[in-house]
Amino acid sequence: MFDKVEAFYRPANVREALRLLQSGKGQARVVAGGTDVVVDGDDSVRFLIDITHAGLSYIRRRGTASVIGATTTMAELEASPQIQSLAGGLLCKAAHSCGSMPIRNLATLGGNMANGSPAADMATPLLVLDAAVVMADAKGRRRLPLAEYLGNARSNRYARSLVVEIVIPDPPRGKGCRWSFQKLGRTAVDISLVNVSAGLHLDSRGRVKWVRIALGSVAPAPMRAPGAEQRMTGRILDQALLAEIGAEVAREVSPISDARASAEYRREICSVLTRRALEECSAPAGCSL
Amino acid sequence: MSRDRLVVGRNVRKVDGVKLVTGGAAFTDDVQIPGMLYGKILPSPHAHARIRRIDTRKAKALAGVHAVLTYKDVPRVPHTTAGQAWPEPSPYDTYLLDSKVRFVGDRVAAVAAESRAIAERALALIEVDYEILPAVLDMEQAMAPGAAVIHDEPDSTKIYDREHNIAGYILREIGNVEQGFADSDYIVEREFRTQRQQHCPIEPHITISWLDTDGRLVIRTSTQVPYHSRRQVAMILQIPVSRVHVIKPRIGGGFGGKQEMLLEDICGALTLATRRPVKIEFTREEEFYMARSRHPQRLRMKMGVTRDGIVLASQLTVLATTGAYGSHSTTVQGNTGSKVLPLYRAPNMRFECHVVYTNNPVAGAFRGYGCPQGFFAQETLVDEIACELGMDPLEFHRKNVIRLGDTDHLSAQLGEGKEGLPRLVRSCGLPQCMERAARAIGWAQKRKSLPNGHSHLRRGVGMACTMQGSGIAGVDWASAFLKMNEDGSFYLQVGASDVGGGADTVLAQIAAETLGVTLDKIIITSGDTDITPFDVGAYASSTTIISGGAVKKAAGKVRAQVLDLASKMLDAPVDKLDCGNNEVFTTCVCRKAVSMTDLAMQAMYKEKLQIMDGASHFNTDSPPPFCATFAEVEVDTETGQVRVVHLATAVDPGTAINPMQAEGQVEGAVAQGLGYALTEELVLDAAGRPVNANFLDYKMFAAEDMPKLTTILVETDEPLGPYGAKSISEVPINGPAPAIANAIFHAVGVRIRKLPIRPEDVLRALGAKRAANLEEEALLTP
Ligand SMILES: Cc1cc2nc3c(=O)[nH]c(=O)nc-3n(C[C@H](O)[C@H](O)[C@H](O)COP(=O)(O)OP(=O)(O)OC[C@H]3O[C@@H](n4cnc5c(N)ncnc54)[C@H](O)[C@@H]3O)c2cc1C
Repeated sequence: MFDKVEAFYRPANVREALRLLQSGKGQARVVAGGTDVVVDGDDSVRFLIDITHAGLSYIRRRGTASVIGATTTMAELEASPQIQSLAGGLLCKAAHSCGSMPIRNLATLGGNMANGSPAADMATPLLVLDAAVVMADAKGRRRLPLAEYLGNARSNRYARSLVVEIVIPDPPRGKGCRWSFQKLGRTAVDISLVNVSAGLHLDSRGRVKWVRIALGSVAPAPMRAPGAEQRMTGRILDQALLAEIGAEVAREVSPISDARASAEYRREICSVLTRRALEECSAPAGCSL
Repeated sequence: MSRDRLVVGRNVRKVDGVKLVTGGAAFTDDVQIPGMLYGKILPSPHAHARIRRIDTRKAKALAGVHAVLTYKDVPRVPHTTAGQAWPEPSPYDTYLLDSKVRFVGDRVAAVAAESRAIAERALALIEVDYEILPAVLDMEQAMAPGAAVIHDEPDSTKIYDREHNIAGYILREIGNVEQGFADSDYIVEREFRTQRQQHCPIEPHITISWLDTDGRLVIRTSTQVPYHSRRQVAMILQIPVSRVHVIKPRIGGGFGGKQEMLLEDICGALTLATRRPVKIEFTREEEFYMARSRHPQRLRMKMGVTRDGIVLASQLTVLATTGAYGSHSTTVQGNTGSKVLPLYRAPNMRFECHVVYTNNPVAGAFRGYGCPQGFFAQETLVDEIACELGMDPLEFHRKNVIRLGDTDHLSAQLGEGKEGLPRLVRSCGLPQCMERAARAIGWAQKRKSLPNGHSHLRRGVGMACTMQGSGIAGVDWASAFLKMNEDGSFYLQVGASDVGGGADTVLAQIAAETLGVTLDKIIITSGDTDITPFDVGAYASSTTIISGGAVKKAAGKVRAQVLDLASKMLDAPVDKLDCGNNEVFTTCVCRKAVSMTDLAMQAMYKEKLQIMDGASHFNTDSPPPFCATFAEVEVDTETGQVRVVHLATAVDPGTAINPMQAEGQVEGAVAQGLGYALTEELVLDAAGRPVNANFLDYKMFAAEDMPKLTTILVETDEPLGPYGAKSISEVPINGPAPAIANAIFHAVGVRIRKLPIRPEDVLRALGAKRAANLEEEALLTP
């Protein structure tokens, strides 16, 4: 593992990190918490660039948005009052489901996104929150919708870029706004077989004003379920609609079979978890999250 | 001895505990031998192939490579890797290196180089031209006409029927099963399937070998069987046993996977070829498919009972695969019959088993040794019968299970690869185990009140009873040696192999108790073939009863020498002397005493006498420890997920020499049993390659997954055991799978007969049941 690594760098800022990445000519690899990089143990890597000292560990407010630095760890997210009060603590719940305590002390939000796993547990809550990714490369910084970034995270389109931060615009707030994160693994510490996040805003008459549903581990990248979201808008959320939505998400996903679960099972679980997420979002206040 | 026990039965600390928790240099890999090379094995990428041509020139030419071995460079000695007493009952079908490979992961070549990286590069430079042969991957196809013959080499021996890939065959019957079924009112027959589970020791297999200054081959290795390894390595490398020295340091878990001579031979061969120290350590991935695993089985079980629930006949027919080599093939499978069926007092029993070769990873010894498979079938079937008869499963067990004074005659027919010895139950705490574990889980109440409610979460409770053995009757034996030091302490040498379970502590406790000294006065060395006397090793739940028996005998002899001298010093007859608390004292009113220290000084410098003695020990019977496992589960009817809420395990280990360690053994066993029941399976693809050989994909139960555990020791007094001890480490692994399967049935009314019980199987069964119910309703509506 890493038998060809010649140097381990620890840049003090993003500019330096980018310079090192550039001069690595494709043989440099960024390492944050290392919980994915080390498991990969990619033998083509010659330089490792540790970005955890590059000033990207922060949780801030900026205007009407929350901003999370890329090297913020799962443990830091869980413990942050700002994140706890954002969207009913949705991100805390997702962060808490990642791995074990030692893993959460290392694993970063940026790493979770940049690794590009379809099962990344932070992806679905961030999709539901309409998050954006701020990238930096030699040419400067730019902002991308998260969905667009995730769709290409595994290609080498961003090979010479850094994820700098995640920007989360303030979501709808108020009595009728609720959130849910659902995850199914085989054991306590497991990559999701399926994970689902939902955000729901019901108007005073109980009609769906705004809804987001995102699913992980059931497509090449974490995905929104636009068909299901459209069907819901403007309608009363009753059992019939829940059943309809369950069926709709099962149509929208494209899971695979592997040693952990079959595609059919994952598809069925998409329906179950989506229904559970929406039920949690529509349950009378005070008995969830 | 009438006085209270001072050391046995007490929760003393592990004698090696401090060293382990402070990270002392204790394990095989904790030494760095100057000049050490790294060994690496080239695994076969094919399930079945002949090596047409193998060219090692490029690998040998690589700087830093010291040796590359292929079948052309080593002696061809058919052997088994199973670490069993000579003559091993497993087929001699394995070669140090061979011109044919029989599973993905089989040895093609071995390299020794100056670093692991160089060794890996060298492996990549070995050019192999394979003639790919048709592979037999499905055990049900192994005996079919036309199936490829896996062991077509003429020099293998002890294979039952090589033409049909049958490594071993067993057929045993007591009474008359056909008659038993004819007399039964109710007969049920079901088929069960169990999977390939891996031991997952936290320390993988590792061996370091070197030549000492006398040119002897020293092998420091993570093994459960140092003596068997010494004998086998000597045979395979064709050097005298006296030229081999095996050292077993502290071991990070074996669970049966290290009852195997697995790396010692190839590591030794590389040392002989290079004259250099060599280390080979499996990576986790290699451990999964190049080491051993539990035999997958297909079990057909049939039982006949009377109307009032008395078992009259039971019949178990098994097809098992041993993978590419027959390590432990007939012995593991023999246990599936001999340790399982006699749990019930049926007068008629029949066991038949084919153990077949397939081009899959090799199975071997694994905690439970054939019993987890058998008990899963039997205890699930019995639950079904009880439920069909409208009988409480607990009541069914009470009526039918083996009792104190019973003789198990099936064991007499099924020994370790030959006729065995009848098993007499001289101690039996099973009734109390059942009652106490039932109470802990709330059985009486929950069988009635559960499952309740209409939520998607349904709870249920289930139970299973199991037994095991304590050593292999008439085969396992051990020895111990003790000598007294000047300060009144004793040096205890045992061949027994503490593999992390705490054997050294238990053996030291037995010595201390017998000699009347405190535990700190026993210094123990174990598992070193130069220093310690023979022991078959750590397996078959034998160490406490067999090695402990040897220690007690040796200590008894040494005690007699101590008392002889004390008698002189105290001027009192031996029968008026006793020892305790590091002194020898008179038991009469005068209460004269001499400390062990003074006595030792007297012996050594006045009498010129080394107080010392040794003893050997074996048993002609294998007293069964008993176990009752009760589980409460919660089934999510929408996802099929099964959460074990509470697992209560009550075990009769005879006397618990160290109750805390005994409980630890139970907890460790049920953790593995829970994984076996619910999550663990080494999955192979259609070409026989492992697809989940890592801990992210292969799921063991970790701390967070563990349910609430209740562990109960029901102590009995076993006449054949030292201080009444039997064994504990294996038996509790058998119960979780059937208890959970039965609890699932109680909760949601579906029977799962395949392990592991995966959520999607539960969900599918629930769907099928719903469909069947709908159909029934449709039929009933006019
Ligand atoms: C035992 C275990 C359990 C796990 N459980 C979970 C789980 O439950 N849920 C889950 O989602 N994940 C889980 N993971 C995966 C992993 O912990 C997460 O994906 C984690 O968030 C990765 O973050 P990291 O900082 O460790 O990334 P690293 O391993 O350091 O990096 C991951 C990848 O992203 C790149 N990278 C990292 N940071 C940046 C950046 N700022 N800009 C550009 N590229 C970057 C790296 O080059 C690398 O390719 C688990 C891992 C382990 C080992």
